[in-house]
Amino acid sequence: MAAEAPGTLSIGRTGRRRTRAVFRPVVLSEAAFAWLLIIPAVVGILLVIVFPLLYSFWMSFADVNLLRATGPAIEIFGIRLPLFRFVGLQNYARTFADPVYWSSLWRTLYFVGAFVLEATLMGLGMALVLHERFAGRPLMRSLLLIPWSLSRVVVGLLWIGILDFEFGVLNGILHRAGLIDGYIAFFKEGFRALNVLVSVYMWNQAPFATLLLLAGMQSIPEEHYMAAAVDGAGYWRRLWYITLPALRPILFLILVLSTVNAFLMLDLIYVLTMGGPAQDTTTISWLGFQTAFSFFKFGPGTAILYTLTALCLLLTFVYHWVVLRRYEAEA
Amino acid sequence: MGGTIVGERGLGRRVLVYGLVGAVTLWLVGPFVWLFVTSVSYQKHLLARPLSLIPPEVTFDNYRMILGLVRFHAEGQAAKILPSMLNTLIVAAVVTVVNLVVGTTAGYAYARFRFPWKGVSLYVLLFTRMLPTIVLIPAIFLMFRALGLQNTLTGLIIAYCAFTLPFTIWIMKAYFETVPAELDRSALVDGCNRLQAYYRVILPVSGPGLVAGGAFTFMLCWNEFLVALILNTKPGTTTLPPVVAAMNAQINIDYSVIAASGFLGALPAVLLVLVFQRYLVQGLTAGSVKG
Repeated sequence: MAAEAPGTLSIGRTGRRRTRAVFRPVVLSEAAFAWLLIIPAVVGILLVIVFPLLYSFWMSFADVNLLRATGPAIEIFGIRLPLFRFVGLQNYARTFADPVYWSSLWRTLYFVGAFVLEATLMGLGMALVLHERFAGRPLMRSLLLIPWSLSRVVVGLLWIGILDFEFGVLNGILHRAGLIDGYIAFFKEGFRALNVLVSVYMWNQAPFATLLLLAGMQSIPEEHYMAAAVDGAGYWRRLWYITLPALRPILFLILVLSTVNAFLMLDLIYVLTMGGPAQDTTTISWLGFQTAFSFFKFGPGTAILYTLTALCLLLTFVYHWVVLRRYEAEA
Repeated sequence: MGGTIVGERGLGRRVLVYGLVGAVTLWLVGPFVWLFVTSVSYQKHLLARPLSLIPPEVTFDNYRMILGLVRFHAEGQAAKILPSMLNTLIVAAVVTVVNLVVGTTAGYAYARFRFPWKGVSLYVLLFTRMLPTIVLIPAIFLMFRALGLQNTLTGLIIAYCAFTLPFTIWIMKAYFETVPAELDRSALVDGCNRLQAYYRVILPVSGPGLVAGGAFTFMLCWNEFLVALILNTKPGTTTLPPVVAAMNAQINIDYSVIAASGFLGALPAVLLVLVFQRYLVQGLTAGSVKG
């Protein structure tokens, strides 16, 4: 590392003007040093994320036959990636002409809406409870991380143990308490199964929202509450006029993150419903997954998944804008 | 504590708060505890009605079955659990180490220096975090097939590294921003070069950030399901979550046995997260990562 030359001693200033590096080619400028530090990560991300992203994009315009090895291909470093036959917008046209796509899209929107609402409200509710003064508060923070640290396969398993028609503990408890006569089949009826998915995913994700909100609540200055107390404001008024406005940036962040997560959710569907009964829990991401990997139709599959990617891109813009605004507000 | 229900006095409110805390605890921990209870129960007791919440008989037979200590009808499935657990451990450990070296270094550069393309590359990082991983998999599937990386742990490691790096960089960037830049400056004045300032002065005081980034990466890899399911289909090459999911999909295996494998599989990540929870919470709330 050739960074010992005297010209490079100070950190804040040196590399700001890039022309310096031109005048002193031997010295590793701040910018060059920074690039040296990020280059391994950048190369990895370019090769395993950005390139596949473009390759998948190409496939969404191609007639992908996984068994055919001939035809045009990219050849780099001795490996050969087939380009398949270009078919223009055919995959997208077929996707948009398919009523299953549209019914999945509406179902996805319901899923996302219901999930975001449940996760935000539950996250906020838990945060308000855990922000109170009670014995064992630090322990509760640890417990918050349990649902969130489980693999979605285990989350699914564990809720099967609770909701199953035969051996589920919830049916057992309700039956024993005399609240139900017959057992409830949670996964048999389509709309109910979809709502169960929403709630199970919420169980897994809401604690993270709680963590963010708790951190936010702790940073609200005490004086604001004291002033409100002098004015005789009760709990709900303080919540509405002080706590919630202060949490607005965090709430918005949670809204965006949970929206993206809900659009992409796949693994729980795999473990709990496989998109069924019939297609009643088939969301766009499940439809794309199924098309690509159950039927090995990579062309239409990537086309479906790319419509999802477009939505995420849009949400990233929103997120970016919010984060920027938050930093500006802090500065 | 501003904004709380409990004032200076009021027994009723105190009861309310403890009631609510109890409800939240039950909601967070109850399901996981029940998973454990089912894993030490006999299936017949789970099916018995009226149901008894405390198992009439505690047994470790389910664990004996999945650990291959007793023979039973699905022992072929159960025999995959330990090897796949080892695979998961190898993959998660290697990815964590790579992340801590590569991701931390990049996070440091983003936190400290100005350089051309910084804004754009940060934006790309942010975007990859919001990206549906699944859209990349058809391409990675074909790339790995061409490279012979399908059904190998190396392939899985490469894929996971790329997927987790953006998170690690983001967490570490947020962490390094809390470390005063005067530390770097004084190290430079004392005669370190920039690299030495980083690994002799900054890294040693960055323990909490490293723990947060490392534990989070390990947890993500330990729990990852779909990518392993698709890329590593050959028996013996895959990780634990696909194996547990496959057991779950088989009708002839008792739920209590599946619960045991699920609980055993969940335990390492849960313990890791609980042990490091303080650092994790700090790191994650600073980096506002999606979970």
